[in-house]
Amino acid sequence: MKTNNSLKGIRIIDLSMGWAGPLAARNLADLGADVIKVESCENFDWWRSWEATQEWIDDDGAEKSPAFNSVQRNNRNITLDLSRLEGRELLLKLVGTANAVMENFSGSVLPKLKLSYEIFKEVKKDIILLSMPAFGSTGPWKMFRAYGSTVEQSSGLPHINGLSSDPPMMHHVAYGDAVGGLNGVSALLIALRHQAQAGEGQFIDLSQVESLFPLAAHGILEFTANGKEPLRNGNKSEFFAPHGVYPCVGEDKWIVIQILNEDQWLRFQEIGGADMKRFGDLKDRLSKLDDLDKTIAKWTSTKEAQKLMYILQGAKIPAASTHTMSSLLNDPHLNSRNFWQWLDRAVVGNQPNPSAPFNINGKRLAIKTPAPTLGQHNHEVLTGILGLKQAELDRLEDIGIIGSKPKMPSS
Amino acid sequence: MTKALEGLRVVDIGGSISTEYCSKIFADYGAEVINLEPQSGFETRKSPPFIKGKDESAMHAYLNTKKLSVRKDKLRKESLEDLISSADLVLNNGEKSELSSISRGVFSDISWYGNGGNYDNFIGTDAQCFALNGMLRGLGSVEGPPIIPSGYQAQIVGGMAAFIGSLGLVLGVELGNNKKPSLVETSIYEASLCFTEVGAVSFFNTGLEGRRLGVNRFAPTYPLGVFPCKEGWIGLTVLTPSQWHAFCKLLKMEDLALVPEYQTSLGRLQDIATIEPVIKERLLNFSAKDLFYKAQEEAIPLVQVPTMEELLEVDQFLEREAFTFAVLSDKDSIKVPSVPFRLMETPPSFGGYVADLGENTLSFDK
Repeated sequence: MKTNNSLKGIRIIDLSMGWAGPLAARNLADLGADVIKVESCENFDWWRSWEATQEWIDDDGAEKSPAFNSVQRNNRNITLDLSRLEGRELLLKLVGTANAVMENFSGSVLPKLKLSYEIFKEVKKDIILLSMPAFGSTGPWKMFRAYGSTVEQSSGLPHINGLSSDPPMMHHVAYGDAVGGLNGVSALLIALRHQAQAGEGQFIDLSQVESLFPLAAHGILEFTANGKEPLRNGNKSEFFAPHGVYPCVGEDKWIVIQILNEDQWLRFQEIGGADMKRFGDLKDRLSKLDDLDKTIAKWTSTKEAQKLMYILQGAKIPAASTHTMSSLLNDPHLNSRNFWQWLDRAVVGNQPNPSAPFNINGKRLAIKTPAPTLGQHNHEVLTGILGLKQAELDRLEDIGIIGSKPKMPSS
Repeated sequence: MTKALEGLRVVDIGGSISTEYCSKIFADYGAEVINLEPQSGFETRKSPPFIKGKDESAMHAYLNTKKLSVRKDKLRKESLEDLISSADLVLNNGEKSELSSISRGVFSDISWYGNGGNYDNFIGTDAQCFALNGMLRGLGSVEGPPIIPSGYQAQIVGGMAAFIGSLGLVLGVELGNNKKPSLVETSIYEASLCFTEVGAVSFFNTGLEGRRLGVNRFAPTYPLGVFPCKEGWIGLTVLTPSQWHAFCKLLKMEDLALVPEYQTSLGRLQDIATIEPVIKERLLNFSAKDLFYKAQEEAIPLVQVPTMEELLEVDQFLEREAFTFAVLSDKDSIKVPSVPFRLMETPPSFGGYVADLGENTLSFDK
């Protein structure tokens, strides 16, 4: 494993919270950027918790969120109360040393903090601001409220998934977040390239909902190219058979089998035995689909899912067993590729960290540091970058501009 | 106005959904993208959906606007070598290629499972990525079987991840941080783990394994899901007590608003049998579109869930030009998604012409 320095010398100020923004920032940190996340003790990242209590604070709950910790590695973390003048001024000084700022608040938050692209530009002429609200920064919905689930709901995706006998089907509690995050880092990399070439910054307007349109493209195109709403056929395909998810030995164990050509079908018939010989070519199989699916389900129900996956894949037949969250941590492929990197983290101890999904020059990108604790780098950043003295830090802590413990909101 | 990625040359020798989505972002922002296609054309030319009345793939058209098409078999050896060695980025689909050794910039290989590891020789599909990333098991009715997400979603995510690694390395070269040539290898499966890695880490810490709770059921949040209205469907997410109170007021079910057990998502989920019939009945008094605007006035995260036809007419997306046109060689065109993010000083190009197979070969055969 090797650390990557592609973005060495690039500094990002991350004001974002939750999943989408921090995931974008994580990718930049993995590539060697200096990412400084800014929270405040009262307005801390809601992915630490959106139902904070004093008991939770006393129990170090803010440092125990697996979700929060999993997206914060390689970052530095400081606290600044941006609702107060001194906190805001310190942020602007920090922005003056940075290449980019990123945020994913709803439309009303930055104006409340008296912050904007124009204000950031006053302190750093070539600054980039990535703004990634759910519906984008322009248009009649720019101020509307949304979560990652809302993003998926409004993207049209539910209408091309599931069964027509069910309501339009969602994938996930926050499908839009992860995709929004990947788009966010992509947008920032493009803007950083322009900044390096032309010495210009800019405002980036990202819509998390529109970020899901490429994932829904096959459905959108079915309508625009053919005038048809896509059918919601569940696991059935009009092009392939068998094509489904079949039960295996054990509770809630399944295997996906998809036969994509006739060679694969012939090999599947050999492995599946006599019962499969009743079915002929694709046309025949599609005409007897229910019978075919039942026959395969009967056959797979006596098999162990992962073993069957290896047998079928060994015969070059597309198949995959379904992981649970626990088995995902023990996936033999991921482990053979050192996907989970284990790092010791304050408060919670040894933790699995997912690697970047790409290797560079044959090596995993090493994760240098686990998620920092709240305000862990106050001293390092405020003295090292902004040149503040220790006495000044003590004063800022005394008046609550900085700190390292969450506080219950004052109102 | 300049284009942010102007001056970069990208050559796609892979022709998969992933390589083409990756290079689409380069093309949208001004890079020169050249599809180096085999005699039979890239596989995406045979990928559904197809355009009515034509033997052409709508998916290929969407992914390949503004790109050039060169027939590999028609290029002389030295022209081929010149083209590959002149590229800042070469994109491949995981198949072994003799061209990797000629690449002088970044060689970016996008495969289903990455190069090396236990699944190295597995045949991959989008459905298998969702099975192995743990998401599939949570989708569909309780009794099963789990329901496969449609389309090319894992491949698009793989293309996005590859874009990040590829442009990151190209930028690193331009900034003087990286040396050339270099190799980036993206695994579509690992890219698809962006959806579930948090769940796995959470399991490690809590020992709690989620079960499949049914269509649109995601613990611990309730109400969350897609519900029918008098006309159309709405998507709803209620998390905080204030959102719950506002939602109850909106649907005129104030008697539920102050029930102590219903002040948390989990409490509501545990009494779903009482709450859901009331919500469903009240929703039938509204059209989805009307309710959406009323709810957003009260800061409730509630939206209309549009069909494909409705999606194209949503005022927000119309104003933002979220859809544009891919123009075919016969001058016909189809509507396609445009670009999800806009750089205001270096805006992207929307849509554009889709080259026929080999249309630009002569320009590159010296």
